[in-house]
Amino acid sequence: MSSETGFDPKLYDRFPTKGPRPKEELSELKRIWCAPRKWEHLTVVNNNYVGLYYVGAAFLFFVLAGVLALVMRTQLALPLNGVLPQETYNQFFTMHGTVMMFLFAVPAVEALAVLLLPQMLAARDLPFPRLSAYAFWAYLVGGLAFFCSLFFGLAPNGGWFMYPPLTSKTFSPGINADFWLLGIGFIEISAIAGAIEIIVGVLKTRAPGMTLDKLPIFAWAMLVFAVMIIIGFPSIILGTLLLELERALDWPFFDAARGGDPVLWQHLFWFFGHPEVYIIFLPAAGMMSMIIPSVAQTPLVGYRMVVLALLATGFISFGVWAHHMFTTGMPTISVNFFSAASMAVSVPAGVQVFSWIATVAAGRMKFNTPGLFALGSLITFTMGGLTGVMVGLVPFDWQAHDTYFIVAHLHYVLIGGMVFPLFAALYYWTPMMSLNALSERVGRWVFWLMFSGMHVAFLPMHLTGLMGMPRRVYTYLPGRGWDLPNMISTIGAFLIAAGVLLFCIDFARRFRFSADASAGNIYGGGTLEWLPTGLYSTRSIPVISSRYPVWDDPELAKDVDDGRYFLPGTATGVRETVVTSPLNAEPQYLQRMPTPSAWHVWAAVGTAGFFLLLTVQAYAASIFCGVVAIAAVLRWLWDTDRPLKDETADIGAGIRVPTYVTGPSSHGWWAMVILLIVVGMIFAMLVFSYLFLWSRRPDLWIAPPSQSSFLLTTSGYLAAAAIPMLASRALFKWRAGAFVATVLMIAATGVQGAAFWQDFASWRAAGLAPEASGQGATVYGFLALQGCMLAICVLMTGYLAARTACGMVDARRRATFDLIWMFFVYTALQGFVAAMLVRLAPGS
Amino acid sequence: MWRPTSIPSMLAEALAGWPPPVLDPAGPFNTPIVVLSWALFVMAAGVTLVVAIATGLALFGGPTWKRRLGGKRLVWIGGLAFPLVVLSVLLVWGLTLTSRLSEAPPPGEMRVRVTGEVWWWRVAYLDGQGREAMQDANEIHIPTGRPVTFELESADVIHAFWIPRLGGKVDMIPGRRNIARLQADEPGVYAGQCAEFCGGPHALMGLVVVAHTPENFERWRQSRLAPSAPPADPLSQRGAQVFEQSGCGACHAIAGTTANGMAGPDLTHVGSRRSLGAGILPNNRGTLAGWTADSQTIKPGNRMPAYKVLSGADLQAVAAYLESRR
Amino acid sequence: MMGLVLCACEGGKVQPRALSGADAGLGRDIAERVGCGACHQIPGIAWPQGKVGPPLEGFADRALIAGRFPNQPETLARFVRDAPSLSPQTGMPPMPLTEEEARHVAAYLYTLNAR
Repeated sequence: MSSETGFDPKLYDRFPTKGPRPKEELSELKRIWCAPRKWEHLTVVNNNYVGLYYVGAAFLFFVLAGVLALVMRTQLALPLNGVLPQETYNQFFTMHGTVMMFLFAVPAVEALAVLLLPQMLAARDLPFPRLSAYAFWAYLVGGLAFFCSLFFGLAPNGGWFMYPPLTSKTFSPGINADFWLLGIGFIEISAIAGAIEIIVGVLKTRAPGMTLDKLPIFAWAMLVFAVMIIIGFPSIILGTLLLELERALDWPFFDAARGGDPVLWQHLFWFFGHPEVYIIFLPAAGMMSMIIPSVAQTPLVGYRMVVLALLATGFISFGVWAHHMFTTGMPTISVNFFSAASMAVSVPAGVQVFSWIATVAAGRMKFNTPGLFALGSLITFTMGGLTGVMVGLVPFDWQAHDTYFIVAHLHYVLIGGMVFPLFAALYYWTPMMSLNALSERVGRWVFWLMFSGMHVAFLPMHLTGLMGMPRRVYTYLPGRGWDLPNMISTIGAFLIAAGVLLFCIDFARRFRFSADASAGNIYGGGTLEWLPTGLYSTRSIPVISSRYPVWDDPELAKDVDDGRYFLPGTATGVRETVVTSPLNAEPQYLQRMPTPSAWHVWAAVGTAGFFLLLTVQAYAASIFCGVVAIAAVLRWLWDTDRPLKDETADIGAGIRVPTYVTGPSSHGWWAMVILLIVVGMIFAMLVFSYLFLWSRRPDLWIAPPSQSSFLLTTSGYLAAAAIPMLASRALFKWRAGAFVATVLMIAATGVQGAAFWQDFASWRAAGLAPEASGQGATVYGFLALQGCMLAICVLMTGYLAARTACGMVDARRRATFDLIWMFFVYTALQGFVAAMLVRLAPGS
Repeated sequence: MWRPTSIPSMLAEALAGWPPPVLDPAGPFNTPIVVLSWALFVMAAGVTLVVAIATGLALFGGPTWKRRLGGKRLVWIGGLAFPLVVLSVLLVWGLTLTSRLSEAPPPGEMRVRVTGEVWWWRVAYLDGQGREAMQDANEIHIPTGRPVTFELESADVIHAFWIPRLGGKVDMIPGRRNIARLQADEPGVYAGQCAEFCGGPHALMGLVVVAHTPENFERWRQSRLAPSAPPADPLSQRGAQVFEQSGCGACHAIAGTTANGMAGPDLTHVGSRRSLGAGILPNNRGTLAGWTADSQTIKPGNRMPAYKVLSGADLQAVAAYLESRR
Repeated sequence: MMGLVLCACEGGKVQPRALSGADAGLGRDIAERVGCGACHQIPGIAWPQGKVGPPLEGFADRALIAGRFPNQPETLARFVRDAPSLSPQTGMPPMPLTEEEARHVAAYLYTLNAR
């Protein structure tokens, strides 16, 4: 095995270590990773707790959105029924879709990742535990408040894809649509925070020796999932920003009369919206690929094909978004491209389905509850995938689009592809963290109720759609033959609900949280999460040499629990984990882990409060919350970037690694790069919007400002990008380098501010108003984005200055400076590109 | 309140609705889609069966079957080769059909402009020069046996134009003009409904296409082109007065009168329509009166205010007048 | 009539008034088809539930039709078919019903007892 980092793989042979371990080692580990008491449950950052809260909250939203579905099904059981008035129904279906997609499906899989990944990778925790906790609290507080809008009749009512102009100010004057736009805003932030955590976690905190080829499939799936969020979510973030700008400030991004285009929203929405389906499905498929080998007691057949299938799905899914738009009158050539891509994306799904079947054949399947749910998922998802192939064919889609056929299709895919695997996962992994497993007897009932209910409810909907019933109708006239299938569907919906209710009762009766005295590996899994664990994950971090280490090394559990591998106790007396290299998982350094804190909780409450109070137009309170959020984040950051006194530490068997690193091997560097990719994607989507609107109505576009403004702006931005590079050098050079660097960074901020102002003023002088046209809206859109980034730069400069003043920045302790430096350079270059584009592209 | 319907009667109704409109083609723009659809149903059922049988054999098959299925070969064949073949065939079929059905209409084809409005349909029949020759609402008359081009626009939000038996749906998007071509082979009434959620009473936005034989269509067209008769009986005449004095003409147009509003449906021929309120109510003097006095209860949120200021006799008269606009 | 009312007191409900050969079930379907609901809330007709005219729940128990005419079968049958011929100032227009259909509708209205 060649080395990736210079780490000598022969060192692995020192494990498992022989000889006795110090007695106090374990008790010291337990003391450092102690359980929270009473109010400490709110400030906890340990993944066992946060993950559990997270899963619980996601399940709560699943139940709430499910209740909405039941009321809707009651309304539709009979023609012209009077259970829900029209307006309430419109709010109900919008909330059902929105809550299921944004508040249940994505958070549920992120939650499982937070809960399971550290155990699967044998890390003490994921690299940014406070970020996970922040993501959870922002999601819980914001999500609950968002849901409550329903009780005041203020819930959004434009459908979960919120097409303008229906959702623009003219046709939705109330604040209902703002609840959606801003409410989804912080959920996106939460999802992206989670995605950064997952990517860095999977790449950097694996057990030593766990090369990418030995990564559990669930971790692979979560990696692809998180990358897809990073690529896909910026599109919807930008979309919601633009629509909110149009609603609040009358910037006509989607107003056809002024050179906007409602179809732009559809592109932005579905560029996120279709990958979203795979974002939900892939982690669930990952769970299936973990559960099926366990219940069949044999390794997954075609591991590498399944990994390739996950990657292929992620890749192709970004080329299929417009298949939601076959009826918008797109040119035939584009329609055909997206049709072909939609066919292609079903191939990797087929690979996974047949890999599961092959695994079942290779082993001996046990018909326990996780097994039943896995089989139910396999069949149901296959059927949903096949109707997906059908609607991928354009002529059929022209008929099926926006009818109950689609409602049937998407529920087959999402329930078969995500809900059933999730329930399999809940049954399968409960013994890992509960004193008792869930009841197998009740589990059978839960499965059969949900499985039969699912098909009773949704199979007839295919027919209802072909009978001509459009989706999103609060009622229908009698005499069209729709009555019977609708009645059957309603009965099915209640069967599903009965299954879920039974599950909740059983779960409440039998689930008792325990990290170290859990029921254990009753399903006979072969991956690391089935090692004996405590709140610190495994006692020691094993060296991995196979995909199913628990199966392949019968002594592993005992050796790990006896502390015979890496990090058997604590090396430095604080919370810590081993950070490894991304490809071969070679130990690189020891990361100091954060402890419980109130700051990320306040930051989350502030973030949620900021967005929600903005919605109800309580501007002062909203700004207050925003300030609270920023202050809390800065305070939270203040504790980070603290090198330990010992420059290296012994992580077991005499192997010493550094305790503080900067640059590309550090986890912070990775997180910043990913964040910049997110921002870059937002920017790229804005570039797309700009060019799209330009192609629509070039007649409304005016000439760009003068040449001199062009030179001033672009050279200003280039200078603003160059100065931080000088600052970075300066930091190394002199003893007082930190002060010089900080002064240079302040100068960079100033230059960038001047370039920005020059840009803004030149467009004002050229006579362009943001309300005037698609050009005005997008040009000022670029400026608004740049302005926000600049404001963050100002904040960062202040933070850097404060830390320099406190002597917390120097040539060695430069992580904070490095991350700020990267952000600065990116921001200035983005400003440069934007200024070039808006002046050169119109060309008039 | 709900009148209990027996399950058998619901079943009978459901069976009477067979085949469902989407699979019951009435013209050449739907027939090939239906053929494709049936092929797709057979494909989907077949593949489901294959997967189910493979899973069954994987679970319960003898050691031979388990050995055959339990390896990477199955993933190669079942997961990769099999879908690639099936999907390629379907894709070629789909692409060919898409191109064929999206062919641009030849010049000289009859054109109807349909504009989606919240929550009704504005209909205009275009003449050879593309001018709007006749106005109507919520009901479209076409001749049988030849394709008709529909120019689809929207006045406000996105709607979708869909007559299931005649062909696929096409969105109506502000700022764009989309084209749909439909043809009915037999005379008859073909129901449709807005398919893109357009807010409020989207569920109550229906329309009908009425296909006539070419001769009957021509007769219908001539009758429409002729000026409509002034109200004949005293009641209708009074209704005309009330209509004018109440300001109905600010939103509605009736050709040959001072009423020339463009916000609401053209009422020149309202009495001859098959339904009221965009395909939701039967059209008679009673429902005309009910709709005029309080359409908000019937179709909440629609743009017509409830006229609760009219006396009984005035309401009568307006209903009689409107009914006589044929 | 008196006897009927007494019966009603004893039995707790009024028997349908006699309309020979009329079918209340058919009457409901007809009422739904011609859109009586556009103006009236009629039990058994889910939608529309218009508020232009009076709600017809408990119609069988009413003494008067439109506050003016005795609630008698033949009068009712005529009123539903051609109200203005009885009451020129009414807002209820003549309905497209045959005499026989009107009798079915009347029969249905007489099944609507107060609860």
